[in-house]
Amino acid sequence: MKVDYITIRTLLRENQARLKLTQLCSENGLNRKVSVPDIHRPGLALSGFVQLFTNDRIQVIGNTEIRYLQILDEEKLHQSINTFIEFEIPAIIITNNNTAPPYLIEAARRRHISVFKTPYSTTRLIHLLGEYLHDVFAPRQSVHGSMVDVYGVGILITGRSGIGKSEITLDLIERGNRLVADDLVIVTRRTEEMLIGRGREIAEHFLEIRGLGLVDVRRIFGIRGIRRQKRVEVVVKLVDWDKDSQYERIGLDENQTKILDVDLPEVILPINPGKNVTVIIETIAMNFLLRAYGYHPAREFNTKLKDFMQQKDNERLDLDRDSIERDIE
Amino acid sequence: MIEKTLQIINEQGLHARPAAHLVKIAGRFKSEVKILKDGLEVNGKSIMGVMMLAAETGSYLSFVITGEDEQAAIEAIEELINKKFYE
Repeated sequence: MKVDYITIRTLLRENQARLKLTQLCSENGLNRKVSVPDIHRPGLALSGFVQLFTNDRIQVIGNTEIRYLQILDEEKLHQSINTFIEFEIPAIIITNNNTAPPYLIEAARRRHISVFKTPYSTTRLIHLLGEYLHDVFAPRQSVHGSMVDVYGVGILITGRSGIGKSEITLDLIERGNRLVADDLVIVTRRTEEMLIGRGREIAEHFLEIRGLGLVDVRRIFGIRGIRRQKRVEVVVKLVDWDKDSQYERIGLDENQTKILDVDLPEVILPINPGKNVTVIIETIAMNFLLRAYGYHPAREFNTKLKDFMQQKDNERLDLDRDSIERDIE
Repeated sequence: MIEKTLQIINEQGLHARPAAHLVKIAGRFKSEVKILKDGLEVNGKSIMGVMMLAAETGSYLSFVITGEDEQAAIEAIEELINKKFYE
């Protein structure tokens, strides 16, 4: 699942106010498409060097480019702009409210390429526009599962259909945690190692409980029972209890899984009657927080155990007798 | 019922990793596995129990195994301990 392109019309609709864009020419140019998140400053292309010119990117004309065009005589200016504008360009943005050479606007109109103006500096504009484009073109994947913010930790609950993901999610919300999405989680890779999970807009904050139907979590639990998006930090995979399978017993080694090529810790949790999965998931979240603060419970326990085994037998016996005879801790 | 005393010979003793390994092996058999040390008796299929023995290197553990596959179980456990838990 990936966005292939957006039209300049969409880009303008969603960003006109945010980027303070004024359209200088070409209605037709709004139908042009952009399909890469990168942005280009065409200084070299305007000076005539067009090898490797990344014309498929939005072109941002800053102070340097404007100054360069200003010092050219008319013949050179026309030549420079003609070479540049013959390429298929998604759109042109002029920063710092600079006045573009009229010939550039004329040429762009002829070629049906939109030109916009913004008061923002080039750096600021590239930053703001880049943020939007990277978000639009970020790799994304839909995951069958539920996502809950548990004590601030983004937990993605996966497992076969009917194992009880929604019921556990409802239980977690009832205990004060916040629903991100149920049944279908859209995971987006925001940076190289950060995944963001959210629900589909149409199904936002609805849960399906078998035998009951749809539950509107926002109406029942209020605004504090939901959140729109959350970083995915731990995957909890619910599996049917199988007496022949081996499950993690100590937690010295962490199981890992990958979503969109990002490594995530994964806890495989066998389900059987009488097990309070909700409390276990809350404990997983708190353990994650402890580890983030540098405390690793299993390692800590093992260090204690090893130290204890190295002590002389006498000391150990004394310790035991003390606690038994005097009944102190 | 089989009773056998085995010595822990790996350098670090029965810490978390070897304990987990022992519990994993014991859990494969149907027989009941009891481990005794210094008057303490624990279930050989319980990770916390086995770690609570705090069996340092050189210490002796008595195994009491009862069940239909007791012979196979004691052989597997003996091999694991003698091979130093493959550490």
